[in-house]
Amino acid sequence: MRFLKHILVVAACAVAIPSTSLTQHSASAASSPVTWNHDIAPIIYHNCAVCHHPGGGGPFSLLSFRDALRWSRQIVTVTGSRYMPPWLPAPGYGDFAGARRMSDDQIALIRRWVDSGMKEGDAAEAPTPPHFDTDWQLGKPDLVLTIERPFTLPDAGTDVFRNFVFRYTLGETHFIRAVEIRPSVPAVVHHANILIDRTASLRRLHPNDWQDGVAGMEIQLDAGNTFDPDSHFLFWKPDTPALEEPAGMTWRLDPGNDLVLNMHLKPSGKPETVSAQIGLYFAAEPAVEHPMLLQLEDDRDLDIPPGARDFVVEDELTLPIDVKVFGVYPHAHYIGRELAGWAILPNQQKKWLIRIPSWDIDRQSVYHYREPIVLPRGTVLHMRYVYDNSADNIHNPNSPPVRVRAGNRSVDEMAHFWLQVLPVNTPKDGPDPRLLLEKAWMKHRVKRGPEDTIARYNLAAAEAGLGQYAAAAAEYRRLLAIHPNDARALNSLGAALESAGDLERAQAAFRQAIDHAPDNCDAEFNLAGLELRLSQFDKAEAHLQAMLQRCPKDATAHSALGVALTGRGDRSAAQIEFDRALSLDASDFTALYHLGESAIEAGGFDRAIDLLEKAKAQRPEDVDTLEHLAMAFAQSGRTGEALNELHAAAKIAPGDAVVHSLLSQLLAAAGSLAEAIDEQKQALHIEPREANGWNNLGVLEARAGKTAAARADFQHALELAPDHAEARANLARINRD
Amino acid sequence: MAFRAALLVFATLLLPQQAAQKFGVDLSGRPIVQLAPGNAKAIVLFFAATDCPISNRYIPEIELLNREFAPQGVAFWWVYPNPTDTADIVRQHRQQFNIQGQTAVDTDQRITQMAHATMTPEVAVFVPASSELREVYLGRVDDRYIALGQERAAATKHDLADAIRAVLNHQPILKPGGPPVGCAIVPLKGQ
Repeated sequence: MRFLKHILVVAACAVAIPSTSLTQHSASAASSPVTWNHDIAPIIYHNCAVCHHPGGGGPFSLLSFRDALRWSRQIVTVTGSRYMPPWLPAPGYGDFAGARRMSDDQIALIRRWVDSGMKEGDAAEAPTPPHFDTDWQLGKPDLVLTIERPFTLPDAGTDVFRNFVFRYTLGETHFIRAVEIRPSVPAVVHHANILIDRTASLRRLHPNDWQDGVAGMEIQLDAGNTFDPDSHFLFWKPDTPALEEPAGMTWRLDPGNDLVLNMHLKPSGKPETVSAQIGLYFAAEPAVEHPMLLQLEDDRDLDIPPGARDFVVEDELTLPIDVKVFGVYPHAHYIGRELAGWAILPNQQKKWLIRIPSWDIDRQSVYHYREPIVLPRGTVLHMRYVYDNSADNIHNPNSPPVRVRAGNRSVDEMAHFWLQVLPVNTPKDGPDPRLLLEKAWMKHRVKRGPEDTIARYNLAAAEAGLGQYAAAAAEYRRLLAIHPNDARALNSLGAALESAGDLERAQAAFRQAIDHAPDNCDAEFNLAGLELRLSQFDKAEAHLQAMLQRCPKDATAHSALGVALTGRGDRSAAQIEFDRALSLDASDFTALYHLGESAIEAGGFDRAIDLLEKAKAQRPEDVDTLEHLAMAFAQSGRTGEALNELHAAAKIAPGDAVVHSLLSQLLAAAGSLAEAIDEQKQALHIEPREANGWNNLGVLEARAGKTAAARADFQHALELAPDHAEARANLARINRD
Repeated sequence: MAFRAALLVFATLLLPQQAAQKFGVDLSGRPIVQLAPGNAKAIVLFFAATDCPISNRYIPEIELLNREFAPQGVAFWWVYPNPTDTADIVRQHRQQFNIQGQTAVDTDQRITQMAHATMTPEVAVFVPASSELREVYLGRVDDRYIALGQERAAATKHDLADAIRAVLNHQPILKPGGPPVGCAIVPLKGQ
């Protein structure tokens, strides 16, 4: 009896599937014939084919009438439910580029076509199917990075979240204008996200097995000690394999950087070999616009009881400067249900940034605005996420539901809302405006979570970057009250104290950092740098020698050692260190500068010019370099070029008396006596107590026939320095003549 | 509706007898005349399509069930009902997905009709009853997919495995807890 009943139910199901009779009925109700060629192909080609083509991210092709017939019932189902095309944002809550939402009319038309018997229609009306290259979308990349070891995705099981390291092996910096990710088996990749690991931290953390990829939905990377905010969404999904940055907003790759590809993979039923490639397209020019990623988040409040259906977390952040918002990336895991972000402008107007009424991690994406949104200073950014931890939420990975907290595993949760912003309307000569954003953001984080030591560190670093060294030192100390042995904080405290002029405490902080992390080279390098500043060359040399035992490939340490040896007077040993520095990093400024200086002294002016030109390329605003380069040109008889360098130096440092003096000498040598006198007067205006300067001015004025003025100059020199032999001789000579 | 359903029940009970001579063809094109030896405790038919992603995702699960239950007298069949899935394509697919079990290409869709299958993946379980085959289960493998686009991270209810165990333990067999989700079986031309 039980069996019979069961079969009854199944049979009822069977006849409920659209049948021939049902189809005929609907066809008669249609007002005008709907055909593939006239009506449906354009919709499918425009909305679906970008993934649904051979080799694309979709599981099957939709490039022909035959394909459409095969999948017609599924097309009706998934467009009707809006599962396809994948597009989560609600309409009217942000105007996004590449929106994939079909209109209600298009969906109805597809249904009518299927219900009316799927007519092919007039071949003359058939649109040409779109063509998809199997090769790189933007042509041959300038550099292709390949996964270290192909990864075998198991045939079955839950989704896999894995992070693969791609090493950037070039020896020079490049700016990247576009990137394309080729996952090799796009059909098993839900999405992928590239992170830039500036310090190769993921490899350091997994020294033995990073080649196989590192499990985890999210990873934290160590950005290093410099403020260098990751600023781009490098997000791949099946319909956007290539990402091009707006003009001037390229992103940077330095030697030693890694790219980390975070992939969300779905088992297909058979083992799949994922051998992803990343194609990079270089820009000719460095970036001129420097955006930043800001994050609202509320992970700390994620403590969701089992069964809770409407668990809300929120965050807000007040903007300290005007920004343009280019895009947003809302992120939660499986039990997130409604994700919303908006801005309250200073005039209290509410501006929606995004609203996702029915979140689905499988279809997560970065959303770029069609036009960037400008938000003025004082705008408050908001996020509000709702979680459903009930058994009724079919996405719930825990069965039965359990308490869920924030974490990196797929059974944990996250509440993140990222925004890519570009500071606008900021003064040109002010500090990097992103530091102001960073400071506001981190201050907010510290306020919400006083034990958040990463936020404290970043806050202090932002303050240091803004030149607020006392505030930075205080913040580092608050961090150290929580983690007294944090070597990085101690090291940064030392740097802040040094910048604030408290050299004694700075030295103590560096020493403490070395004690707590003897293997770390940074603090010992900084201590040596401070000793160089104090002309304690022996001590600096000892620290640098010790440090180089542990970090022998550190070019800056070799050049610093060169400086210490120069200070001690051992020029040949210094030369060797500078050469070593250059062999490790051909653009090491200190080595280029000092070797250039040595070459001038040795009379090798061509070599000096070569080295100093390279040094100038690294630091175009360094006045000493320009002066040295001018000297090398002058000594080679290239007076015009020498004058150019000095004029450039005078523009950068109009208050630098030495520059004016040098200019005066060169101009005099070139026969421009009046200009030479003028420059020397400028030098003396800056440094009026310079006896040599008065003597030199006297010589120039005597040559110009201004005897009285010259006499006064020599007398002035002698008043300042009664033993000035040249001034005395010159005065005697002018009186005699 | 009741009348129609009753008719189908009737058909189900009779069909195995009518179709006793032929259950599609094997990969060499030879007709399959018997789905299981007389002493088999159950026959499981997994309706598959080579181009259906959800059907493919269930292959490892079905292979596992095959390995678990075959020694207990359960015969598993991979049934390919779609006209586009020719013996050549199916052979290739078996190789790609390392499918071990026996395969029927349902060229005339008589197995499909016998089971009333409409979808891939979908599973029918039959038990031999004297000279007949009696269908005791038709539907989803488990509850991982609720609808297209609604997917659990992992299944929480294993309807098919429960049904097979119930057959083996002579217990009542529960109907599946939800509809099958996947790709509709493509009817033969003229149907």
